[in-house]
Amino acid sequence: MRESKSAKLNQLQQQQQDNHQNVHLSPSKLAKLFDPDASWDKDQLGDVLHWIRQVVGLICGLLWGSIPLVGGIWIILFLAISSGIVYGYYAMILKVDEEDFGGHAALLQEGLFASLTLFLLAWILVYSLAHF
Amino acid sequence: MATAIPLFASFKYTDSLTVVGISFCTALVCEAISWILIYRTSSYKSLKSSIDKASRKLETMKTDNPSSKLTNKKSKTKKIDRVVSSLKESSRDLSLFKFKSGAVVALVLFVVFGLLNSLFEGKVVAKLPFHPVTIVRKMSHRGLKGDDSTDCSMAFLYLLCSISIRTNLQKFLGFSPPRGAAGAGGLFPMPDPKTN
Repeated sequence: MRESKSAKLNQLQQQQQDNHQNVHLSPSKLAKLFDPDASWDKDQLGDVLHWIRQVVGLICGLLWGSIPLVGGIWIILFLAISSGIVYGYYAMILKVDEEDFGGHAALLQEGLFASLTLFLLAWILVYSLAHF
Repeated sequence: MATAIPLFASFKYTDSLTVVGISFCTALVCEAISWILIYRTSSYKSLKSSIDKASRKLETMKTDNPSSKLTNKKSKTKKIDRVVSSLKESSRDLSLFKFKSGAVVALVLFVVFGLLNSLFEGKVVAKLPFHPVTIVRKMSHRGLKGDDSTDCSMAFLYLLCSISIRTNLQKFLGFSPPRGAAGAGGLFPMPDPKTN
């Protein structure tokens, strides 16, 4: 009776220890964004890449409009910078195998058009309001 | 508040802020209507769930190592075909379901565009920091006098607002169509057209 009780107590303590370790070992959401060992769902990665593109588009639009940078070439440059950042993020920081997510094209086109329109909107607005 | 009005009055293109503000409010109203008519219904939730499941199943089946036996390959191909047709059917049902409810949202957008058109017809609402190509110029210089291609009309600014604000709002609220649905994603992911 005493042996079975102590065995149960040991089992309970072991479970609590495992749970405690699991809590410490599971990365926070922010840490996962920079963790090359984290596992990614296609939807999760797609969403992250989408929002990265939007932030880059907004920052570039605000910056281009403030300086101001004028000319269609800056649209091409924005596309290059934005795509470079996204590629660098998933290939070099996360080190994901793009074949698991539909290839480079699928990853690079996430949020592309929305970020382009957001970039143009921010660029046009800041340029119009700040320089006229 | 009193100091804000003279501040905005000094900007030449304050109309652009009005267009953006109206677009943003319209986007919120459209998503609210879509939520009431589409997203909160059990039909939509079950269709979306079945599309997600079918997509995941399809991905798993496609990435599994192909068997060397011919009969197993044939049965696997048949299974994949069944999942693909089920996915297409669910996507079609989802599109049809959204289309019926999307008519209301389309009406709202039509009315708002008409209102903006009447307010800003012939007015230059913003200045473009680039010379647009001919196709874009037809929209950006719509209804404007003169030859300056950097003058921006309400229509072009409204288009940019609609796409950027609505796409990101749908994404933020979780109303984007599932990636596995037919026509989802692609190079130019527009705001969900069935809610337009």
